[in-house]
Amino acid sequence: MIIECADLDRALAIPELMPDARAHAERCERCRHQLYLWGEISRLAPQLHADWESPSLWPRIRAGLAAEPARRVRTPVWRWALAAAAMVAIAGALLGPWRSARAPARDFLTEGALQEVQQAESAYARSIERLSAVAAPGLQQSPGPLAAAYREKLLLLDTAISDLTAHVERNRYNTYLRTELASLYREKQKTLQEWVAYAKRN
Amino acid sequence: MVGASQLALMNRFEAAAYNSDADLLAACRRQDLGAFEQLYLAHGARLKSIAWHLVGNREDAEDAVQETFLKAYRAIGSFHGQSGIGTWLCRIAINVCYDLARKRRLAPEAAGEFPAPKNQLPLRVALEDALKRIHPRHRMVFLLFEVEGMKHSEIASILEVPEGTSKAWLFEAKKELKRLLTEKVP
Repeated sequence: MIIECADLDRALAIPELMPDARAHAERCERCRHQLYLWGEISRLAPQLHADWESPSLWPRIRAGLAAEPARRVRTPVWRWALAAAAMVAIAGALLGPWRSARAPARDFLTEGALQEVQQAESAYARSIERLSAVAAPGLQQSPGPLAAAYREKLLLLDTAISDLTAHVERNRYNTYLRTELASLYREKQKTLQEWVAYAKRN
Repeated sequence: MVGASQLALMNRFEAAAYNSDADLLAACRRQDLGAFEQLYLAHGARLKSIAWHLVGNREDAEDAVQETFLKAYRAIGSFHGQSGIGTWLCRIAINVCYDLARKRRLAPEAAGEFPAPKNQLPLRVALEDALKRIHPRHRMVFLLFEVEGMKHSEIASILEVPEGTSKAWLFEAKKELKRLLTEKVP
């Protein structure tokens, strides 16, 4: 295959194209330099391992672990199972007459409340994305250190939002996680608003 | 101060005390401090390096490693060996670092207190600087794979993503780094 400069990144992803890329690089100084950098990145990376002596770290950790209360001896599972079965049997006997009337209403309320929260969250997230679209062009193009700091902070927030969203999806009824997610969205909104205000002033 | 040779001796001694990973894990579950010391000797250096890259200074990195071991000690009963224990510790450490950065409202890897040695190659310095500027997810995979020598299967387990995603993020990381280095080292 004939490789042009624009094909270089694609060739780096496909080992079969590398001989052609190298052949092209022999004739093209820019691509030769890019291939050199590509190799150097992996060669130099292990040197970025940060290492320093910390003679007091293990003693500190050990002291911290020793100060932790010992874990309680676990009750055998069969005892828990027996106790739970007994509780269910008693509760079933006592609450049986009301169960059929109450259970659907409770389920409905729980699902309904969850749907309401999800709708509000989605609307909030969409409005922040619109704000983000307003702020993005100026933020991406601005070369100053302040813009770089804002970009970094927003990247961090996006990562945290994305991670927490994954946790929330696995644990839909956990209000604590949802509150945390909302606070991250608020922080993102505040950050974007600060940037937009700063951009207007300048 | 414990020298490298003494550490190696201690490693061998501890290794003799726990014949297999299963023995070590069982001792950890009994909250045996010797077993946790073995874990520290085996994984502490890597955890410190990862933490340093994420929080940007030694003091916070050491605090993060300490917190990692405390959390591991408390949660060891719920670890069932789905992944390697080193992988599990790494996942805890990364979460601890992000929590620490969030609490202190620091962008991770903002500081970087290590002065560059005088004999460092400019490209290595430029690479370290560029690494702070790429997408955090891509940076994380680059750190774990290229800097700390972990496998994609381990990284996938730590970041809870498919192995293919880990490979794709590594490629993106290297592409971003190449672009930034091309600007810096024309």
